[in-house]
Parts: sequence; structure tokens; C-alpha cells
Amino acid sequence: MSTLKVEKLTKEYGDVVALENVSFEVEDEFAVLLGESGAGKSTMLRCVNGLTEPTSGGIYLDGEPISGSRSDVGMIFQQHNLVEGVSAYLNALTGSLDRVSVLTSLLQWQSREDKLRALDALETVGLLDEAGQRVSQMSGGQQQRVGIARGLVQDPRLLLADEPVASLDPASAETVMGYLKKAATEHDVTALVSLHQVNIAAYFGERFIGLRDGEKLFDVGRDELTPDLIDELYGDVETVGLADGHGDDPASFDGERDTEQVISQ
Amino acid sequence: MSGRTPGDWSLTEYVGLEEIGDSPVEQKLTELKWQSTKRRLYTLLGLVGVGVVFGASLDLINFSIAELITQWPQFLEALTIGESPYFPPGELVIPFVGLSVPFVDFGAYWEFMMEENLILQIESGGSLLGLGLLPPLFYDGITIVPGAMFATLAVAVAGSVLGMPLALFFGVMSSERVVPYPFNFVFRATMSLIRAIPGLVWFLILIPLAGVTTFTAALAIMVDTTGYLGRLFTDELEEISDGPIEGIRSTGASKAQIVPFGMLSQVFRQFIAWIAFDLEHNVRAAIGLGLIGGGGLGLELYTQRQLFRYTDMMACIILIFLLAGSVELASQRVRSYLREEETESETGVLEAFVTVPQKIVSSTLGRRERP
Repeated sequence: MSTLKVEKLTKEYGDVVALENVSFEVEDEFAVLLGESGAGKSTMLRCVNGLTEPTSGGIYLDGEPISGSRSDVGMIFQQHNLVEGVSAYLNALTGSLDRVSVLTSLLQWQSREDKLRALDALETVGLLDEAGQRVSQMSGGQQQRVGIARGLVQDPRLLLADEPVASLDPASAETVMGYLKKAATEHDVTALVSLHQVNIAAYFGERFIGLRDGEKLFDVGRDELTPDLIDELYGDVETVGLADGHGDDPASFDGERDTEQVISQ
Repeated sequence: MSGRTPGDWSLTEYVGLEEIGDSPVEQKLTELKWQSTKRRLYTLLGLVGVGVVFGASLDLINFSIAELITQWPQFLEALTIGESPYFPPGELVIPFVGLSVPFVDFGAYWEFMMEENLILQIESGGSLLGLGLLPPLFYDGITIVPGAMFATLAVAVAGSVLGMPLALFFGVMSSERVVPYPFNFVFRATMSLIRAIPGLVWFLILIPLAGVTTFTAALAIMVDTTGYLGRLFTDELEEISDGPIEGIRSTGASKAQIVPFGMLSQVFRQFIAWIAFDLEHNVRAAIGLGLIGGGGLGLELYTQRQLFRYTDMMACIILIFLLAGSVELASQRVRSYLREEETESETGVLEAFVTVPQKIVSSTLGRRERP
């Protein structure tokens, strides 16, 4: 387990301020970034992963500053970002690229450990039987699980996921989130996941960081996430159902489990 | 008012040189008449010019109707009768019925194919392929002597395989995603230069290097492949998406790993499809290069032309059709298999064979359309 500390992070794209002075700390938790589209969730994750260079501020993993893409930070993308033409196994194996030379990786001469690790990761996400299947022939949910497996093969200290279930149907979304949580728990990895479906976030998250217009609105634990906070984050329109206790969000993953009940737990 | 009497007519008025009145309408009519007169004069001048050039051309090529008339019987002879006609007459025996109908004697073609070893010959004695790989313990051993058709195929295969790594190198280095902007143009320009010169001319240029041989033909195809296949690779690389590249980058992979895993992996199938297309094109180019000395079926056709042995020429042409047509069909099948998601129009069997001559010419001259 490890600690991610984000300190006064600011990111500007020209005149547009995507993130402004955001600080938080996540330790050994399954943390969720909440916020509307454009609130800065993706930018935050991309900065932590090193795909985007922050304008100012610091990112620390277990106390040491990090920058650039690195193997101990795994990333799961909304659009999977897998190599579609090859098998799930080879995609998972790309998680080990940082540990081997170019030639080794091209010839697939990775150690047996790495290869078994790839299959282990696929087993964790329930895809061991499909390991030899080409990714392009898999469903969106399965592809995303391969993405999780790739992240696990990196043997990360921190797992990031940028809207991992935004393009999935509710049932698949629940499955994928379940596997993501399981992966993080089984491998003792701190996770930071951005989501826009409040009910899913409330069900899986242990800590909630709300972003609005690039600024941190709240940073609360499970017990402190109230419908009022959600209202403030999204404005009134989207959470009418939530406040009434009759959530009709299409991403409602469990008919019997009402969103308000989840939150009040 | 309507109609005119002969006395009315005047030449100067007709051509528009004589005014017929003062009103604007009358003046306009005169003006229009003069304009059309000028147009007629120019047309006449043009026709006379074309006539003169045409006449001079006929004179220069020794055009003579008399020659056509005297030679006509000889032409017919070359077609079906004579010593070695294009279509040697024979009979087609209908089995069981005992009837036979006059038809082209394919035996004559076959005889020449065997005699000149256009396909391949199997000789007894020696060891397989003459390489001494299999000692003749239990049998006398055979030697396979590949014929002209396989020489052509070998030129294409050797040239393609030699050019492939170069094409991959130039193709990847030309991509702006791999090599930053001004520098990738060095590679781009090299490929453009190669493509600007047709394969036929590359053969001529390379003659001092390896003679008028199949070897030179293969080298010409190698150079040609570098330019064309490389360009196709570059085009393909322009269309890759950023997602997988970011995916691989996020794992902490090095730049040298991002290129093969994030980029090339996206276009691997397309690359194989282009290689199949290029091989097909190169077989046609090898036939064309044979006609100017590059060996194989092309050279055989050229030799028989010089000897005026029409049956033998036709035998070569039949094999050329078979070779180029079947290679195209095979390549097409491979490509449509690889591009399962895309709509690839499949060439029909008949079309593949009918279009052979036109495609041989365009392949040899380096003009190739994207399929």
C-alpha cells in the first residue's frame, strides 16, 4: 500500500484553467474523483500518470516526487487504449514493458514470472479462459478488464482509472467496477478512479474527492458523502432523483439498492 | 419576306463584309456573319495542318495499303496455319461419343513449355533440388530444375523480401509521429525520388552493377519496393489512433518500445496486406522487366518474338496470364481475409485474368493504383 499526495496542482491550457491549486492525499484507499464533465478529473489523472505535464504543483508517491509515465503507476482509460489486433494475454504482457529491453519485448522473451503474472492478472479479472482471444473481438466490458489486467502486470503501487465504465452499459459497468475494486484490494494497491455516476461511486468508493471547475469542492470519507454535497457538485438538475430517494440514473446498477440508501449507509 | 430569290444573294454579304443597313439589328447580323466566317477559315486552316502532318506521318512509317494486301495471307498463316502459328489447329475429342471438333492444339503449347522448361523439369538422378540434401538411399534421386516461370517468381520474391526491411525502415522513419517534422522529410524525399523513377528505368540504371540478368531485375524490384511499400506504410501510420500509444506509454515503456507496441501493432495486419499487394505487383513488374532482359517468362517471350515462333510466343503469354492472374487472386484472398472489418472489393476470377496485360504494363512502369 502506498500514499499519493497531490500538492497545489495547477494545470492551464492556454487561458483555460483545468485545475487550480488542488491538494489532497489518498492513503491505502479506493478513492473516487467526482465531478461533471470538464471538471478536471481526467486532467488530474493524466497529470498523476505523467501523460500531461502540470503547470505547477507537486505529485508525490510515498513521499517522493514523481513525473513522467512510470510502471509503478498503472492507468486504465475510458477507451481502453489496448492494442486491438492482438490477444488479451499479449495486451496484459505489455504491462511488463518497463522491466525488459526492447529486444526482449519484441521477441517475447520475458521471464516466465512476467508471463505468469500476465495470466494471473487476467485470472483476477475473470478472463483466464479468454486469454488467447483477440481484444478486438471482445465486448467493451471485457476489453476494460484486460485494461485492468495490464495495469496489474505493471505491479503498480498506484492504480489510476479515468472514467473506466463511462462507455459501458449498467450491467457491464458494475462488473468492471467490481473487478477493479477486487484487483485493487487483492494486490494491495491504492486506487484513484474518476467517475461521473454517483451511485456507482457511492457503492464502490471509500473516499470521495469532488472537483468543480478545476477546484476541489470536497474531500470526504464514506460517511460524510451526503446528498447535499452531491447537489452542490452537480447542481440541482441531475440529483433530483437522488434527493427524492428515487434515483432514475440509467447507470443504476442495482434495482433494489436505492442510491440514497447506499449513501446513507 | 420569307425565302430569297437567287438574285438577292451576294458573297460579300454572306461572309459579312457588306453592310446591309444602318439599324443596330442589321449591323449586328453583319457582325455575326463576319465572326462565323473567321471561325470557318480557322477550321479550314486547322484541317489542312492536320492533313499535312498525317500525310507526313504515314510517309514516315512507310504506310502502304499494298503491303497489307500482300501480307494478309501471311497474317492468316501466322494465326492458324503456317509453321508456328499463334493458334495451332488441332482437334478436341469428345469422350465416349467418338466425335472430334476442330480446336486449338494445346499440345503444341505444352510441348514448347516442356522443351524450353518454362515451368519446371524433374530429372531422374541427382538429389532433390540438386542440393545433396537427401542422399539417394532408397531411390535414384531426382533433380528439380525450376523453369522460366519460377525464375520470374524468384525475381519478384527476392526483390520484395530484400526491399521489405528497407521499406519498413523508410516507412517508419518518414512518419511524423516517430521522427519529428523536418527530419522525417529526408526519408520521405528519398522515397519520392525512388518512386519518381519507374522500375523499368531502375533496371536500366542498375545494369552496370549486375548485368542484363535476373539479378539486376531483382535489385530493381528491391529499390522499387522500398519506395512504394515504404510510402504505403507511412500512409498507414498516419491513420493510427492515439489511444493505444498512450496506453503503452502509460505502462512506462521506452520510446523504442512505444513504436512497435503502440504504433506498429495497430497497423500490423494492414502491413501484411500491403506486402501481399506489393508481391503481386512485383510479379507483374518482373514479367515486364523480363521483356527488356530481366530473364524469366518475359525474356522467353521476347526471344521467341525475335524468332517469329508464334506458337511459342503464345505458350509464354498463356503462362504469363496464368502466373500473374493466380498471384493476384491469391494476394486478393489474403488481403480480404486480413481486412475483415473493412470492405475490400474482391476481384472476380475472370477479371483477374483479363486485366493482366494492362496491369503488367502499369506495374512495370511503376504506376500503381491503390487497390
